[in-house]
Amino acid sequence: MASTAQWLSGMARTVDQHLDEETTENYSVGNLSARTVAQIEKHLLICQPCRQSVAASDAYVASMRQAAANLRKAERKAKRKVERRAGG
Amino acid sequence: MNPSTLAVNSVPHSEAPSETPQPWASMVERIRAGDPSGMEELYGVFTTGIRFYLCRQLGPQDLDDKVHDAFLTIAQSIRRGDLREPERLMGYVRTIIRRQVASYIGAAVEARRNWVDPEHGAVLRDRQPDPERKAIDQQNLDLAMRVLNTLPRRDREVLMRFYLQEQSPRQICRDMGLTQTQFRLTKSRAKSRFTELGQARFARRLGFKPPAPVRNVDSASAKAS
Repeated sequence: MASTAQWLSGMARTVDQHLDEETTENYSVGNLSARTVAQIEKHLLICQPCRQSVAASDAYVASMRQAAANLRKAERKAKRKVERRAGG
Repeated sequence: MNPSTLAVNSVPHSEAPSETPQPWASMVERIRAGDPSGMEELYGVFTTGIRFYLCRQLGPQDLDDKVHDAFLTIAQSIRRGDLREPERLMGYVRTIIRRQVASYIGAAVEARRNWVDPEHGAVLRDRQPDPERKAIDQQNLDLAMRVLNTLPRRDREVLMRFYLQEQSPRQICRDMGLTQTQFRLTKSRAKSRFTELGQARFARRLGFKPPAPVRNVDSASAKAS
């Protein structure tokens, strides 16, 4: 496995190194630095396997985000109900 | 975030092509000279990547036109001599399509601001979601809900902080007293479960029956007698 520095320097020029799962997910979530995003997006311009990974990861992250939001909403609703009962 | 702390690694794929030096200089020179083979090559190398980027950022509406516009801008810009160092072509292409995306978003915001229903004063929707896409998204959401609902409370909290509150892995580990490995394992287990459920659903749709539960032979024979 290449170090971050090696990856950053070599990524844009070659297609024989691919994003690992964690980097792909972090890219989908959007918590990478601008510099890393730039390197990833340059690589994605020419790398089909990584584009497929990113597309799958985007779908997964979007689903988890929505599911987490629904769950949080349900938890808050349940909490308010309990509080109302306790208050009444 | 400090890049040195990121788990950014390369993964050598077994099926990955061997290192291919990309002759940007020759291609750029041909585009500058107006040789159609230069444009053909540019199109061949970047069209899918540009398409992917624009679709990811802007959605599938008018995608062909947007890709075409991007290529026109890139080619004109190269012909004008704006790209001084051909080896920076990929960064250059990315910059151009990023600007294009920003411009489309700006135009969409402006259009939405102006598209007001005169009777009700409400902003009109400019597009309907694709029904097929909507169905797939709903299925994925159902799977994600199942995954989150079956996890232990603590694991669920980790995922909710990461995906919903967009807290960094470092912050989550610090606040919840986890190691990086525990954090990764939690995420990876959830993802595996999501994939398993998705595959099972897909198999059912294709008509594969799940394996029958193993019967207790003794009790079955006792009932028969």
